[in-house]
Parts: sequence; structure tokens; C-alpha cells
Amino acid sequence: MSLRRYAARRLAIGAVQVLAVVTLVFLLVQALPGDAAVALAGDNPDPRRIEEIRAAMGLDRPALDRFGSWLWGLARGDFGESLISGRPVAEFLHDGLGPTLVLAVLALVLLIPAAVLLGVLAALREGGPLDRAVTTVTVGLHSIPEFALAVVLIALFGVQLRWLPPTAVGADLLGQPAVLVLPLVVLVARPLCSISRLVRAGMIDALASDYVRHARRLGIGVTRVRFAHALPTALAPAVQQVARTTDWLLGGVIVVEAVFVIPGLGTILVDAVAGRDLPVVQGLAVVFAVTTVVVNLVADLLVFRLAPRSVAIA
Amino acid sequence: MKGVGWLLLVVPLALALLGPWFVPDELTRGAPFMPNSSLGTDFVGRDVWHQVLAGGQTVVLVALLATVSSYLVGVPWGVVAAMTRLRIVDEVLMRPLDLLLAVPSLLVLILVAAIAGPGLPVLVGVVALVNFPDVARISRAAALEIAGRPALEAMRLQGETWWRTSIVYTGRSMLRTLAADLGVRLTGALYLVASASFLGVGVAPDAADWAVMVDRNRVGLFIQPWAVVVPALLIVALSVGLNLVFDRALRAEARS
Repeated sequence: MSLRRYAARRLAIGAVQVLAVVTLVFLLVQALPGDAAVALAGDNPDPRRIEEIRAAMGLDRPALDRFGSWLWGLARGDFGESLISGRPVAEFLHDGLGPTLVLAVLALVLLIPAAVLLGVLAALREGGPLDRAVTTVTVGLHSIPEFALAVVLIALFGVQLRWLPPTAVGADLLGQPAVLVLPLVVLVARPLCSISRLVRAGMIDALASDYVRHARRLGIGVTRVRFAHALPTALAPAVQQVARTTDWLLGGVIVVEAVFVIPGLGTILVDAVAGRDLPVVQGLAVVFAVTTVVVNLVADLLVFRLAPRSVAIA
Repeated sequence: MKGVGWLLLVVPLALALLGPWFVPDELTRGAPFMPNSSLGTDFVGRDVWHQVLAGGQTVVLVALLATVSSYLVGVPWGVVAAMTRLRIVDEVLMRPLDLLLAVPSLLVLILVAAIAGPGLPVLVGVVALVNFPDVARISRAAALEIAGRPALEAMRLQGETWWRTSIVYTGRSMLRTLAADLGVRLTGALYLVASASFLGVGVAPDAADWAVMVDRNRVGLFIQPWAVVVPALLIVALSVGLNLVFDRALRAEARS
């Protein structure tokens, strides 16, 4: 199968996946106790008032009917409107996407070169002091909950030493880069560990492989063999992990946004679930699902370019 | 280097499991965020040291229970998918899991916890739900490899029962793979439980829980940082210690 046909098939499967995720989220939100009308009516509401709000919002229509019209709107590029504020959902997504994108892009720009460099350095000196130090640190720091790392860093650098602002409340993210330092450190810490370990393992395997030894026998220089021949194969497994990280970063990093008070997609999601604002939750689910499908597809195609034999495109 | 992992693991674990025994029955309440006792008071004036003693148990137990439940569901799930002769059964079992993996885990967590309401069983269930697709996939891959072995073929030809071939032999052969995976699962569960509690999913807002303490006492970070830093450091130590100890055990196993 050609690369193009493979991509087309994956996109078709992806569309089904997006639809399924959206349906699942709709059902889950339907199952939530109380709805937007109850959330809007406030404490001690009058049942008649709730019924009125419900009718005004169209929540008294059957679930299938509402889901159908929402899907129909989506097909025409209309995400619908928030039940709570009446603002178009597209505006919510637009507002949240800014901070989320800033964090995600900067995190990736820092993460990828650092992870590759650490992994390659550790692999070239396998068993040496640098390798042992890098391995211990990456094993230890991998999967530390972000909030715990974040508050320790805030207490140290924000409160004790006063070097960096402790939160990003009301700050213009790109205008005041100092507010971004701690969130980025926290975001990069966990993926840096997993990706650099994958690069290290891949590089060690590649350097010990027959084709690398053969290339050396042919008289190709050490540097060229390492970086032009071994490195691309070594990167292939890491690409999948980078894809997962990208997906996670674009999905609104709820915890980091909460700790540092950054109004990204994660914050919008938490507020929307609390307010039972179904259209906003649905819109976010669409964005997250599409991101997952696209990011994974790009990663697969990239792996195919880097190490054609390792992927059986069937 | 050898002792560091154990030290990091044992200190928070001992505090979590033994701590609740040392909390005095009558709790003193003072003004919030005062530095009057060893670690001061928290956001409602409770003694932080007592809260630290009482707050580790839930984190550790929920992570353990969630890991056990995800294995209880995930392993049979994966083995059945691998052992079945019917392709359709395999597809029906495994395809929906791909879908679950495509939904961000914290989104699932927040939605399900909002449906089921607060409570530790809910937290256990949700963390297990998020973790079990991975367990099922690993079990399926391990079982598939075993199912293709000549030994199993020979057992079938000898007329051994389905129970002995598919459960006893396969189960025993899978133990090594599953043990290697256990460290990753446990730290993953710990990560999710702590993050969920921090976000207020599935726990009472004034619960004695390290993650909840970090969240609730954050407002007093400038006045009384111990109420935040101590529980946060304990969670960090627990996670780092678990990783280091399991990694060392795995590498020792690989060498032998």
C-alpha cells in the first residue's frame, strides 16, 4: 500500500474515532447528575424556574434529537453556543487555544533537542558516569505528579528566593516570559525523562547493529555513521512518545494550568464540566479527539520516513 | 546510591501506613496558618503534622487498590482476546480500548467522578478504568507470544484441558512480563490518584490527604509554606523511591 493510501485510510479511521469519542462524551455528560439548568438556577432553586430554564435552553427535547442537531451543526462548522453564557463555543476554544498553544509549542521546542541530546550523550558513553547520572535522574523523576513538583518549585523559587513569579495570574504570557519559566520546567520534566530514555535505548541498539558496523567497515567516518545513520533509526521509537506528549500538551494540561493560573483549554474544560455546559465540553472533546488522531498520524508517517523497515504498512 | 531509592520509598510509606496510629484523638484547632507547633497549622487551623500523619493512607491505598483492580480486569481481558480462535471476539474486546486511550485520561476522570459523586471507591474505580486498557494490551501481547509456543501446541495435542493450557501454563509464563510492568503501573496509579485528589475529584474538600493538603493550603504558601511543601515532598519522594527501587530490581533480574 502506498504511503498516500495508508494516510487516507488512517484519516478515515480517525474520523470514526472522533465520532465515537464525541458520542461517548455526550453519553457521559448526559449521565451527569443535574444539568445546566440546575447549575444555572443556583442554590435552593424553585423547580418551576428550573423547568423554564430547561425549556428555554431546549434541554427538554429528547437527548437523541439534541445530539443529532448538534452533529448537524458540527458538520457545517458550527460548534453551537454555551448554555451558560450564550457565547459561541468557537470563541471559548479560540480563547483557550492561545495559552495552551504557547505552552505546548515552547515545551516541545525545549523538550525535543534536550531529550535527544541527553539520550545520545548517555548512549555514546554507555555505563560511564554521565550515563549513570542521567539514567538515575530520569528513572527517578519520571511520573512525578506535576502539582507536587510545581508547588515545591514555587515555594523555592517563587516564595523563598523570589527569583520568579509564583503564578501567572493576569499576565500576558509572551509579554512577560518570566511567568513561563516554572510552568515550562514542570511540563518538560516528565516527558524529558521518558523520551531521553527511549533515545538512549534506541541509540545503543543502533550502534550495536550490523548495518552500523558495516558502514564503519566501508570507511564512513564515526561522526557520520553516528548521526546520519544510527540516529534516525534510534529516534523512531521516541517519535511515538513525542506524539503522546504533544497530544497531552494540546489536551490542556489541567493540573499545570490550575497551579499556575493559566487560562488554557484545561481550565475551560474544568469550568464547563462544573457548569454542565454540554456544548462546550463537546466542543473540547472534538478538539482533543481530532488532535489525537492527527498527531498520531503525523508520528506514524514520520517514523516511516526515519526507519522505513520498522513499520509494516499493511 | 543504593540506599537512596529505599530511603525515599520507606519514609513516606511508613508515614502513610503507620502515621494514622499516632494521630491524637482530640485534635487541637487554632488560627489558620500559624507557626505555633512543629509544622504550624493549615487553612482551617488544624495541626499540619497531624494532617501529614493521617493523610498518606488514602493516597497509598487507593493507588494500590486501583492497580490490583486494573490487573484483575485487564489480565483476563487480554488473555481472552489473545487465546480466542474467533477474530471477532478479539476485535470486540480490543477495539473499544483504543478508543478509551484516545480520550484524555483526566477528562475521563473528571466526567466519571462527576457522575458517580465523591468517594474513595469511585476514585479507585476511575483510576483502574484509566489504567486497565494498558494492562489488557500488555497481557494480550504477552499471551499471544506464549500461545504460539511449541510447548503449548504439544500440550494441546496431548489432550490437556483448556484450564491447564490456557490458564495455568499461560498464567505462569506471563508472571514475569506482568511483574516487570508492575512498577510502571503503580507509579502511574499514584500519579493519577494524587493528581485527581489535587483537582478535588473523588475526595472531600477538607480530607486529610497529602494531595488535598497541597491544594487547599496553597493560599497560605507565603505565610506558612510547610503545610504545602511537606506533603508535596512526601508525594515526590514516594514516586521517585518507587521508580528507583523497581528499576533496580528489574535490572538485577535482567542480569541474573
